[in-house]
Amino acid sequence: MSGSSDVLLSLSGVWKKFGGLTVTSDVSFDVPRGARMALIGPNGAGKTTIFNLISGFYEPTAGKIELEGRSILDYPSRKRIGLGIARSFQNIRLMPHLSVVENVMLGQQVHANSVLDMLKPLSLFGRSRWRAEAEALLEEMGLDTYPGEVVATLPYGVRKKIEVVRALAARPKLLLLDEPAAGLNGAETQSLTEFLKGISRSGVTLLVVEHDMGLVRELCDTAVVLNFGKKIYEGSTAHVQEDPLVLEAYLGPNHAKAAKSGASHVA
Amino acid sequence: MSGYWTGILTILAINVIMAYAIFLPVATGQLNLGGAGFQALGAYTAAYFSANYGLTVWLTLPLSILVGGAVGIAIALPLLRTKGVYLVLATFALAEVIGGAILNTEALGGAMGLSVPDYVDYPVPMGAAVLVTLFCFYLMATRFGLAMRAAHDDEVVTDLLGVSVRGVRVAAFAIGAALAGLAGALYAHSYSFVESQSFNATLSIYVLLYVLLGGTQTALGPLFGAVFFTLLPEVLRSILPEFKSWIVLAFGAGGNVSPPDESWRFVILGLLTVLMMIFRPEGLITRTLVDRLCSPFTPRRRVLREVAV
Amino acid sequence: MLLIQQLLNGVMLGSVYVTVAVAFTLTIGVLNFLNFTIPTLFMLSGMGAWALAKWGLPFGLTGPFPWPLALGGAVVMTIAASLVVERFTFRYMKAKYGDATEHAIPLVSSLGFLLIIENLIRIGYGTDPQRMDAISWDTTINLDGLLLRAPQLISLAVALAIVAGLTWVLKHSRIGRGLRAIAENPDAANILGVDSKRLVPVIFMLTGLLCGLAGILFAINYGEVSPGMGEEIGSKAIAGMVIGGLGSIWGAVLGGLIIGIAEMLTVHFFGADTVQVVVWGLLLAALFVRPQGLLGHHSIGKGKL
Repeated sequence: MSGSSDVLLSLSGVWKKFGGLTVTSDVSFDVPRGARMALIGPNGAGKTTIFNLISGFYEPTAGKIELEGRSILDYPSRKRIGLGIARSFQNIRLMPHLSVVENVMLGQQVHANSVLDMLKPLSLFGRSRWRAEAEALLEEMGLDTYPGEVVATLPYGVRKKIEVVRALAARPKLLLLDEPAAGLNGAETQSLTEFLKGISRSGVTLLVVEHDMGLVRELCDTAVVLNFGKKIYEGSTAHVQEDPLVLEAYLGPNHAKAAKSGASHVA
Repeated sequence: MSGYWTGILTILAINVIMAYAIFLPVATGQLNLGGAGFQALGAYTAAYFSANYGLTVWLTLPLSILVGGAVGIAIALPLLRTKGVYLVLATFALAEVIGGAILNTEALGGAMGLSVPDYVDYPVPMGAAVLVTLFCFYLMATRFGLAMRAAHDDEVVTDLLGVSVRGVRVAAFAIGAALAGLAGALYAHSYSFVESQSFNATLSIYVLLYVLLGGTQTALGPLFGAVFFTLLPEVLRSILPEFKSWIVLAFGAGGNVSPPDESWRFVILGLLTVLMMIFRPEGLITRTLVDRLCSPFTPRRRVLREVAV
Repeated sequence: MLLIQQLLNGVMLGSVYVTVAVAFTLTIGVLNFLNFTIPTLFMLSGMGAWALAKWGLPFGLTGPFPWPLALGGAVVMTIAASLVVERFTFRYMKAKYGDATEHAIPLVSSLGFLLIIENLIRIGYGTDPQRMDAISWDTTINLDGLLLRAPQLISLAVALAIVAGLTWVLKHSRIGRGLRAIAENPDAANILGVDSKRLVPVIFMLTGLLCGLAGILFAINYGEVSPGMGEEIGSKAIAGMVIGGLGSIWGAVLGGLIIGIAEMLTVHFFGADTVQVVVWGLLLAALFVRPQGLLGHHSIGKGKL
């Protein structure tokens, strides 16, 4: 991996058990700064669990998670975004009754936690600094068509992007994207890919859970593959579909050999 | 102005303040079914200090706000760890305990009630109601208000975005309790008399329902709910007697009962509640409605049906 | 001796609370729904029995009913009312966003029904308490100086029989297993083929039955009903349920009896006026110290309302 000295996020020996059920076992991998890394695997492989562990929604049963060499496990979920970790969700979790720009302003919260910032009006007498910033960000991302509209009425693809913009508003170092292309059609996926590439160019590290292999190959350079909570592959996205363990995970042991030559689409 | 109208304005002002008192916690996703208890606290604080220590209304009002807010914080801090059913039960129980405690305290007049010396006329409650309304509109326009609404919509994500959901909820609950205290103090001084029976469970239910029916997505909703349900019985006053004789006839009870007028108000509120929960559970005034009314000339986008994923 | 007598009275009193508390706990345990119509249904049963016996059906359809028929009719009426409540709280409800207050929709609807039913009764029959001397009887059994009133003994027996029957049904019948599956996890229950749409009315029928029986037992015990009788019983049943633990049937039994005893002891030591403070204070203390109650599990009420 390039620039292995500059590791942004590092997981080592991460276990998560719910009662007797082991969801991730001994998962270790590093995300270099500036990387575009994919986290893939069949349903139930533990991808979203890894996200939930990183964002602090769950606590690992064992193992270490470090950001820039410092453990983040002592920080409650609420404080992780302040460390520079922001995320999107598998099912869009925007606040449905808030407008687009209000959702983005929520993303800025981590920079506006003082009592004074909490009690200053956002848009009562003209535009506040926060509102102006949020609108500028939306414009930059090409989403300035409907800043004042309530999110619930917008099309699915637009809401997907707004959720990413909300995460960006926190100015994160690491952006966790949970199935950004789920439910999008071809054209929307294409537009999203360009959108995410733009974000990556601005210096944000991406860790993406995704089933759409087309998007994974186009967007990400490296991939980590999980199966039944274990890491079975780590390396370039170009060769991931040739790996026997990965093929076995997706297609089952009997089909793996037969499919190896022909399969171009895993998942 | 006639006494009839000043009376209505007074009760309207108190109802509006109570509506905001309950609206603030509800806007963060916490049902407060103990409004009457906090109102009783304020009313008795004002009554006690003006009767026993001769404090003027300008001193008892802030005092009642303080007492309401302090008890609000004291209750909210331990209780807002629990949610949902537990919080509803706890606030309801708190109101009953406050009512019962007052009833059993000699110094507060027990069942006899207390008379309150310093009388205020309708401009004072009306002025207070206007201030409270402006305050709540302001609050909802701040980042704190944004955090409140976010906590209501999705507390998990709100937390991940760096908002202290519990802090926001405790603060909103306590500010609400302080406002209820203010409403109580105004009640005490406007009616010159308080008795604990006035602050019963039905009052708590009534206030919560008109807030929910008005709508809790914007600060406009509780105002509308309070005004509507205060003025409705006045409008109905003329046609109610006919209803009454009809229903008495229907039940076959003859002429030997004297149904209180208040019952009708509650039946109508109940019916509206049940219907609203079916057809428009988000309340009458919603965010989208306000947006549409504010900019009637921009073409409205069609609401897109969400595709199930 | 007097103290033992008071304890006994407490248990007897508690038996009425137990029946209503079980109705509360059943709805919360299975549907995660705090049904505020329960006290009103209890009142409806008592007032209904009185009205049927005194006036007959509304609109002058029939003359007065004989007592046994009036009591039975009151229970049937209560079950019917409970099913109406089901229709308007659960059947037509659809959640859109699943946010915090949306889970409260059935609760809010039930508050609406509370207002409707109670105030219609007040409008129809006035607010005054009504005597029902004809059905109340006062046979007292003297056990070594301890007095036991026969109707109270019967209430206790009926309450315990209901609870025992209910637990048996929940454990061993198909419907019971379905209900428990819904209580565990509604989504999983649906996937496993439990038709929750058809089981929800069962809960409301049971609620109606429990409240109906409790209402007429109360009428037989005290010989007096009033439109306000629900509030007091409701508060004590809720307190009993919370103390016993939300969602636990035997917890509701235990909690109901504890509240009954606490009430009699409070009356004995401090006088009747302080009962309200003690009962609700117990509830509040339980919520502060041990929200899951004595026998409950901690999962109920989390995240949903």
